[in-house]
Amino acid sequence: MGNKSRSYKAEKVIQGMGRKLNRQMVGSLLACVHCGNCTDSCHYVLANPGDPTYAPAYKADQVRRFFKRHYDWTGRVLPWWVKAKSLYTDEELEELKDTVFGKCTNCRRCTLNCPMGVDYATFNRMTRGLLVSVGIMPEGVAVVSKDQWEIGNQMGVLKEDYLETLEWLTEELQAEHGADYPGIPIDKMDTDVVYSINPREVKYDPRTISDAALIFNEAGENWTMPSEGWDMTNFGLFSGDDDLGGAVARRLYEKVAELRGKTLVISECGHGYRSTRCEGQNWAKWDINFEMESSVITMLRYIKEGRIKVDKSKNTEPVTFHDSCNNARSCGLFDEPRELLNLVCSDFREMYPNRSENYCCTGGGGAMSMSEYTPQRLKSAKIKADQLRATGATAVVTSCHNCVDGLTDLIKHYKLNMKVTQLVNLVANALVIEKEVAVPAEVVTAAAEGELAGYRILVADDEPDFVTYAATVLEDHGAVVLRAYDGDETLEIARREKPHLLTLDIKMPGKSGIEVFESIRNDPELKTMPICIITGKPELRKLIYERAVLPPEGYVDKPIDEERLLRNIKKILKPVHKDEEIESRK
Amino acid sequence: MSDFLHFSEHTLQEVALSFMALVYITRLIWLLHFAAGRERQAPTGSKDTNPTKGFIYSWANIAMPWAMESTRTKFFLYLQFVSFHLGVTAAIALSFVIPYAPSLLDSPALVILLQTIIGLAFIVGVMRIIRRVAGPYMRAISSPDDYFSLLLLTVWFAFAFLSVPNSTAGGEWHLIIYFILTAFFLAYVPFSKISHYLYYPFTRYYLGKTMGRRGVYPVRRIPRSDTTRTVQ
Repeated sequence: MGNKSRSYKAEKVIQGMGRKLNRQMVGSLLACVHCGNCTDSCHYVLANPGDPTYAPAYKADQVRRFFKRHYDWTGRVLPWWVKAKSLYTDEELEELKDTVFGKCTNCRRCTLNCPMGVDYATFNRMTRGLLVSVGIMPEGVAVVSKDQWEIGNQMGVLKEDYLETLEWLTEELQAEHGADYPGIPIDKMDTDVVYSINPREVKYDPRTISDAALIFNEAGENWTMPSEGWDMTNFGLFSGDDDLGGAVARRLYEKVAELRGKTLVISECGHGYRSTRCEGQNWAKWDINFEMESSVITMLRYIKEGRIKVDKSKNTEPVTFHDSCNNARSCGLFDEPRELLNLVCSDFREMYPNRSENYCCTGGGGAMSMSEYTPQRLKSAKIKADQLRATGATAVVTSCHNCVDGLTDLIKHYKLNMKVTQLVNLVANALVIEKEVAVPAEVVTAAAEGELAGYRILVADDEPDFVTYAATVLEDHGAVVLRAYDGDETLEIARREKPHLLTLDIKMPGKSGIEVFESIRNDPELKTMPICIITGKPELRKLIYERAVLPPEGYVDKPIDEERLLRNIKKILKPVHKDEEIESRK
Repeated sequence: MSDFLHFSEHTLQEVALSFMALVYITRLIWLLHFAAGRERQAPTGSKDTNPTKGFIYSWANIAMPWAMESTRTKFFLYLQFVSFHLGVTAAIALSFVIPYAPSLLDSPALVILLQTIIGLAFIVGVMRIIRRVAGPYMRAISSPDDYFSLLLLTVWFAFAFLSVPNSTAGGEWHLIIYFILTAFFLAYVPFSKISHYLYYPFTRYYLGKTMGRRGVYPVRRIPRSDTTRTVQ
């Protein structure tokens, strides 16, 4: 290898590769003939014409070159002849990080288009794992992995918050369907179904949980949700860390075994389904003794068995279906969602290409957590945007939470007139519930009127998920919510609408939250507008308070739950706006 | 026939073949010493398929240009692939026919057939060289081995084409070069990308088995033109 010195991390990566290689991987690393057939199969290539560094074979060669240099005979003897090259510096590892995390979503589309059967996605994941093992990874990957290791779920949802959410959802179900309605059973033993979810559902999309609960209850299912080990997502799939993958999967399997559940039902999540249903057992080296299935299959089964009735005329909006890569290309889950869609929607339009040939939502492979690569992710999303536009649908259905986020982001970026939804929402909406319970009028009034009735609140945050979540909470309590996704838009809406309160994220595209905050405080017409900073970057707090202007009225760190959001908002609004002022605004 | 041509056709080929076999066996032993990853999960996807169907489909993929988007949408490239590899097969076969069954080449039809196949492969070889040199994507992924292997194969096709009639009327030089090149290939191939055919059964077997188990292979698709069909 010459006399060139090698960094400790580079040495570890090279040694680690030797331990991770298996026959499939070695075959894939050796077999590429550089025919270029995979090139056009990658959405990054299609969206970046003329830039060969996005070509799957090129990206694969960045890994293949040090494999050849250290593990293949030609590369050892004549490295320049086969472009073999070792790794020496941490800078080279950083470059490799940008390739394996920033230029590939591990969607496996190139794999299916390779005449030789080279599974690039598999050794791209292996390389991610090697880098993670020496601490080289995007910040978001580190944060999420840490949460999954330490707290047990990838969004750091605390047990009490999770249980409170389920309790609150049970109360809502009972308010709607009667006090005797079963709600959401927790830790019930010997059930036929143990239902596992994505923590995103708890934090940002609790409606998917209540919709699922409604479906289980209407089907008369004997089911439960676990109080712990409920997260079916697995960041090990994205980070390439098999130890994390095994630990997370095992946590869930052990809980199902403890509850003596017969079937583990996995809510709609592509990587969660693949990790839990397929890869988890390999990572954990554990054979399970219960069944596992996607909730899509469960819902379809209920309809076929006559356990629930649906009326497709309740979903008349033109919808299309986006196949998650992990579901379709790695688990063969593509016919059931279509069958279900045709049963609950009256206007389903196919997207092309589809099933295992579909393009990635561009948010896969953990890309949504890697904000440093957002510009190239959104640029590559043009392919998906064109696909969506061509369907003429106004809603895109997907059985994956990652895809929900990825699609929401690109729909906003490319200004498509579409919304994203999931099958569980459509099935719940199409349910024919024969024993409707009359909801007392005062309950409706209370919900509609709410404590924040009459207030106009501007929610500014570049995370569409957060905006949707906060808006839903505030609207449920009567507020009129305005939404902004970047700094310039925030200022424009603030000047035009003069809301009663602004919730402001610090890190936003365009003008940052700090600049927006300062501009508002320096604007004679807006300077008294109450502002609540809501940020996931507590380290930036001092930047706000160091300004030579009035401090914000409120400051809250993310993650934030409903109760804390409302408590802070109400705390700010009440002293500022007296009751009579509120009345006059109504 | 000169002694040198006889040596090139027989002894040289036999030594080179033995060397290749030895290296290939070593290579296979090396590959097999890596453990195969184990799949523990119950099958997913369509119940119509299984690992066996998956790997048969995967192996047969080479003859099903419709199976992959990359071959379906670039059919001309697929035809080039077929011509090129038929040419390789014919040129290899020729290296056995000339020394061991030369009477077969008394048939003008067989000579014309072999020359057509090898001639087409030569043309495709030239086209592939141009594609590899002219295309920025191809240049970016090409190594010296890629260029050398392709160039040498194309030259080999040219001499194979000339050698098909097995005639020494105009001299022996084309036959000598053809057999020396053949021997060189036998020795060089295990160290170059040309050995990909050795790995093809492995990669395709494992990918096919996994994809069959997971219901992805055989690939199911509904053509765009068939807008009325939905899976029920």
